[in-house]
Amino acid sequence: MRRLLAGLTAGAFLLVATACGSSDDSNSSSDKGSSSGGTTTVKVGIIPIVDVAPLYLGQKKGFFSKQGLKLSMTLAQGGAAIVPGVTSGQFQFGFSNMTSLMVAQSNNVPIEAIANGVASTGVEGKDFGGLVVKKGSPIKSAKELEGKKVAVNTLKNINEIVVRDSIRRAGGDPDKVNLVELAFDQMPAALDSGQIDAAMAVEPALTTMKLQGAVEIASPMVDVAPDLTVAMYFTSTAYAQKNPAIVKKFQEATAESLAYTDTHPDEVRQIVTTYTKTPANVLAALTLPKWPADANRSSIEALEKLSEQYGLFKTAPDLDKLLP
Amino acid sequence: MRGSNTALGAAGLAVFLALGEAVPRLGLVKEAYFPPTSRIASALWDEVTTDGFWSALGDTLTGWAVGLAIAVCAGVVVGVTVSIVPYLRETTASTIEFLRPIPSVALIPLAVLLYGAELKSVLILVVYASFWQVLVQTLYGVQDVDPVAEETARSYGLGTWARVRHVLWPTALPYVMTGVRLAAAVALILAITAELIIGAPGLGQEIAVAQTSQAVPEMYALIVVTGVLGLLINVGARTVERRALAWHQSVRGEVAV
Repeated sequence: MRRLLAGLTAGAFLLVATACGSSDDSNSSSDKGSSSGGTTTVKVGIIPIVDVAPLYLGQKKGFFSKQGLKLSMTLAQGGAAIVPGVTSGQFQFGFSNMTSLMVAQSNNVPIEAIANGVASTGVEGKDFGGLVVKKGSPIKSAKELEGKKVAVNTLKNINEIVVRDSIRRAGGDPDKVNLVELAFDQMPAALDSGQIDAAMAVEPALTTMKLQGAVEIASPMVDVAPDLTVAMYFTSTAYAQKNPAIVKKFQEATAESLAYTDTHPDEVRQIVTTYTKTPANVLAALTLPKWPADANRSSIEALEKLSEQYGLFKTAPDLDKLLP
Repeated sequence: MRGSNTALGAAGLAVFLALGEAVPRLGLVKEAYFPPTSRIASALWDEVTTDGFWSALGDTLTGWAVGLAIAVCAGVVVGVTVSIVPYLRETTASTIEFLRPIPSVALIPLAVLLYGAELKSVLILVVYASFWQVLVQTLYGVQDVDPVAEETARSYGLGTWARVRHVLWPTALPYVMTGVRLAAAVALILAITAELIIGAPGLGQEIAVAQTSQAVPEMYALIVVTGVLGLLINVGARTVERRALAWHQSVRGEVAV
């Protein structure tokens, strides 16, 4: 009898748990986001960095509302959390770097990139990402990083690939570098205290280090390809099939936002203060990325080739399926 | 006596703050990574004058309060039920001992899969962590019931509910209140952790944003806020405890007979 009671309690517990779970499923599987009065609210998974300024600026300028879209930004900790969020339907759209997207595609994760995200400036020494060494460091070129400790934010991802390639281009052996994983925000302190010899950082960590006297020895993203497409917005294949109209609207609004953002750097520096806490002196010195309206396919192919060369894919990704 | 305690506490805090000011100023640690107290204070002032800060504070407190309320109700109800239904304690003991040590943080992937970066995810972690505090204290409290008092109540013909109300509950209450006080602190820790790691809106997320933005003083300012919040919650919990147990000898402070 008592065991029966315990069983019943456990059963009730499970029932409640599954009930909660399934009610959530029905919410997310409606997949349209919530719509009211002709406006569709879509959730976008992003990282709070300058790269996603077009979404905030486009929202402010009314480019999205013009298409009947309202963006609800969800800040994710690092891009890795965004891909599962999009495939499981928690976000309708997401922002992710090209390498992560290609790795996901090569693993048959059902996603497709739908709009350009952000591109390197293509200018050596004036890119939004760079390889820096401490002030007064004897290291003058990427070649000298052989046997040295270099920090990247994520191993086996875009920054590792581009750093290795810069070392190779400078005449060094890319396999001899000692890469360590470190979050961007921890790089300035680590470089300063000598825990690492060099850091591959993007803004705002890059400017923070430069303001402390760090010297840029290479612009790895520029080295890979001129105007490298670094990141894109993507959605799940299922969502794109069910809601082609919304995806199209998102693409159009994003294209308009990208064009506007690219030509209004002052407004970018202003809008960034609304969703990050970047200090004013860093913000003023920040190198802004480029926001072309379209992805640069040949640069993505170059990145794909490198990623393959450094063993990121089990099978090569199908760019025709991935790209818009 | 109380006055001097407060004075000592304030003096201790002052020394701590002065150290926080002196250590970076003297160059023992780099100012850029550990800003002096005054710099943190001014960043704190900048924070509290923004709307974003208050809505984040509201989100955190909502997660904390709702989570704690669920955990306390569930903990007490389950605790009492498990104790008074014969054999249930024995049946569930191993399960409880198995589930209890699982760190709430380990459930983050589960929470994210189920609910994404929302309040519900925060609640899962908060409730899971604080539930056991209340449950275990309730179990101990119920065990502490004086058998003589229980037998007396029985022989006077009190029903189950009356015995729970007049014998079991007064005995268990001091334990339950300890559990609630512990749970209140744990709930805050988990609410902030969840926001920090999952990215649910709240103070934790603000800290994460400050971190990615290289805004070091702002980051420390927000950390200070969480500390103050913890302090206030502890003071609040102690007050509630004192009120609820005003009749109890541990609070009355009279010499026990």
